[in-house]
Amino acid sequence: MNAPGSQPPVVPDDRPELGETGNDPLVLLELIQRLKVRDVMTPDLVTLPRAASMQQAQELMRQKKISGVPVEENGRFFGLVSIDDIIRALVAGTIHESCGRHMTTKLVVLEDDMPLSFALRYFDRYHYGRFPVLNRDRRLVGIICQRDINRALLVELTRELQRLESASVQRGGEGAAGSLYLLREFPICKYDFENAGKAANQIKQVLQEKQFASKVIRRIAVAAYELEINLCVHSDGGVLSWQVSSGRAEVIARDAGPGIEDVEWACRDGTSTANEWIRSLGFGAGMGLVNVRRVSDEFEIASKKGSGTTVKAVIYIEGGAA
Amino acid sequence: MTMSEVAEVLQAEVLVKGDGLLRRVGHVMASDLMSDVLLVDEEDMLLLTSLASDQVLRTAQIVGAVGVVVVNGKPLPSSMVNVANDLHMTLATSRLSKYDACVAVHAARHPL
Repeated sequence: MNAPGSQPPVVPDDRPELGETGNDPLVLLELIQRLKVRDVMTPDLVTLPRAASMQQAQELMRQKKISGVPVEENGRFFGLVSIDDIIRALVAGTIHESCGRHMTTKLVVLEDDMPLSFALRYFDRYHYGRFPVLNRDRRLVGIICQRDINRALLVELTRELQRLESASVQRGGEGAAGSLYLLREFPICKYDFENAGKAANQIKQVLQEKQFASKVIRRIAVAAYELEINLCVHSDGGVLSWQVSSGRAEVIARDAGPGIEDVEWACRDGTSTANEWIRSLGFGAGMGLVNVRRVSDEFEIASKKGSGTTVKAVIYIEGGAA
Repeated sequence: MTMSEVAEVLQAEVLVKGDGLLRRVGHVMASDLMSDVLLVDEEDMLLLTSLASDQVLRTAQIVGAVGVVVVNGKPLPSSMVNVANDLHMTLATSRLSKYDACVAVHAARHPL
């Protein structure tokens, strides 16, 4: 734990693992990775200065029907007055004394650009009812409670449902790839080897269910798998998306960094920046992009050092090299 | 030879029967480098490896392998059995070394 306004917030080094919630719907997992704390928190705060009395805090909590009041001055966050603090002040007879003296200062805080998955982990780990949210300048910008998360997820799930309903699925005949439209996105986390490959495995299973030709399935699956492993090994995390329509399958890997300095070099046989640990897992031989290009009918890569990389592999479903 | 027969030749313990036990094994690939496995285009392939990780099974599923035999008697993490079950992938473990396993399969297919 750390005092607000002094040190950075506690950040668990074990990121939320998809495997821990492996039975949850993927859409929900995507949402909690994609949404940031700032998207979910309550930004309009009721606050008090340090000089306000605990009784003022009690009255404010009663009026606003809230269970905690942040104490801040000019954006600087000092602490939080909770119901527990009020009870203690009542028992000790210090209800007329200042909030600055009796507020809770040993707090765990969240940063506004953290993924929602971090916030969920915090609620699970610390069992607090709410967390203050600070921005990068250590200014108090909001507060987040479980109710905020439930509300945001409901809104986003409804949007996602509407998007899915409008975007997919126009089925043609059985295995009639030319008229089939499938679209899916998977968030991929850096070094998440517990889950790396799951997206490609699912893509292959869907294609098998749709009864595509086995050689086409294999090429799409290999491209997806190599790109997924690349995202896991080399990027800071990204999104693997795939779609099948109009006689072609597209697999696209997008990440936001760190970018490739020399794309030509990265696409050569046997060139890799992978470390020994990754090699010990059976990857990092420098064949990934080479193999993606090998199985693709069209291959594009765009990257810039310091920004992101996008790799697109297209496999023709009818009349292609399959 | 079927995967079941190969398992017998390798004195392997089958941990997950999966969908491959009765499939024909046409090719055997022995490798610990999954990048190399992904370069192989044979669909009726058995993967022999001393790498005991979930990624071995995911890679095997991608290339449509008949099954996976982990050699050298390596203890397998329990997650491997779960992943093999999820993917319907035949998973076995053998005490033979990778080299001896290759020799044993070859000898069984091409008896002197």
